[in-house]
Amino acid sequence: MLSILKRFFGEKSSGQVARKRMQLVLMHDRMDITPDIMEALKNDIIGVLSRYMEIDNKSVKVNLEQGKDFTALISNVQVKRVYRHASN
Amino acid sequence: MAGKTIVVTSGKGGVGKTTTVANLGTTLAKKKHSVVMIDTDIGLRNLDVVMGLENRIVYNLVDVIEGKCRKEQAMIRDRKLPNLYIIPAAQTREKNSVTPEQMKTLCGDLSAEFDFVIIDCPAGIEQGFKNAIAGADTALVVTTPEVSAIRDADRVIGLLEASLLKNIHLIINRLNVKMVKRGDSMSTDDILALLSVPLLGVVPESEEVVVSTNRGVPLVHERGSKAGAAFRRIAARLNGENIAPDEDGSDGFFGRMKRLIWN
Ligand SMILES: Nc1ncnc2c1ncn2[C@@H]1O[C@H](COP(=O)(O)OP(=O)(O)OP(=O)(O)O)[C@@H](O)[C@H]1O
Ligand SMILES: [Mg+2]
Repeated sequence: MLSILKRFFGEKSSGQVARKRMQLVLMHDRMDITPDIMEALKNDIIGVLSRYMEIDNKSVKVNLEQGKDFTALISNVQVKRVYRHASN
Repeated sequence: MAGKTIVVTSGKGGVGKTTTVANLGTTLAKKKHSVVMIDTDIGLRNLDVVMGLENRIVYNLVDVIEGKCRKEQAMIRDRKLPNLYIIPAAQTREKNSVTPEQMKTLCGDLSAEFDFVIIDCPAGIEQGFKNAIAGADTALVVTTPEVSAIRDADRVIGLLEASLLKNIHLIINRLNVKMVKRGDSMSTDDILALLSVPLLGVVPESEEVVVSTNRGVPLVHERGSKAGAAFRRIAARLNGENIAPDEDGSDGFFGRMKRLIWN
């Protein structure tokens, strides 16, 4: 009964939660990307972007997201200022 | 014509491999096919007790591999079905007393004589797993609807594909229909979407399985058992028969029907 009430107020069923979690876990397992590697990837992205713009390092998020038949790397970066490069 | 060589595997332990082997082997033998089941779980043999044949063991798989006996001497005939045999695992030996090459040879020899060679794989992905899959042409991956079993199944499917064993089918065991209905278990469709291998069948969670294991008589001998009927349908599909998919209490029944086209 309690679970029905919780469900009514928008809490996801544990089956749905499990499915969502497994989507992410399996994707990481399959790509063999550990949290360590994700962290290194994030730092590299920060490094590259910093050559062109000033960014808020703490704001940077890098995530792999699984679509129905694709995997996307989604990164969110707050840009403080773009450097004025001599356009050649 | 050479028979089918089928390995039943899972990654995670205790999900129902041995139960599946015993019930599929028994069903196929009841349909007059000649069947031999090999327990490759060296050190932790169980197929013999599940089949109720634990008192008849003289020789085992390692004895055959090492040439201490002929394979016919290690094959124990079932109590009810004269065309059903098991080769028990060795209980007091190391997993690496067998090599993949030796298993390949043995499976080749057996499939020349039997319609079905069914291999009970140990849990894990080490040497015992490699031995068990070496001689197989088809793999049945058993999982339960739990996250840890599914994750391990995915890992095993990856390893099977890498080993060029591409004929892979999924069996979902211990599905709790009530829990699926109230949303507290992943459904068959959820699991298929995650693992994306074709489904061979769904076996419900059932106390009857435990009772039949206690007695050492495979469930498929019993009439009126849902889990037994599920194993019979799986065996029929394995044998190439076109059988309607198993219900799991979720709504995705028709979607699944389309996906389940067994050749
Ligand atoms: N559908 C089911 N319903 C209820 N209990 C089940 C079901 N299938 C298997 N079991 C029980 O689960 C336990 C483990 O089953 P089983 O020995 O077949 O698993 P296994 O994968 O071979 O294990 P291991 O990895 O140790 O070899 C047994 O006690 C068995 O009776
Ligand atoms: Mg077992």
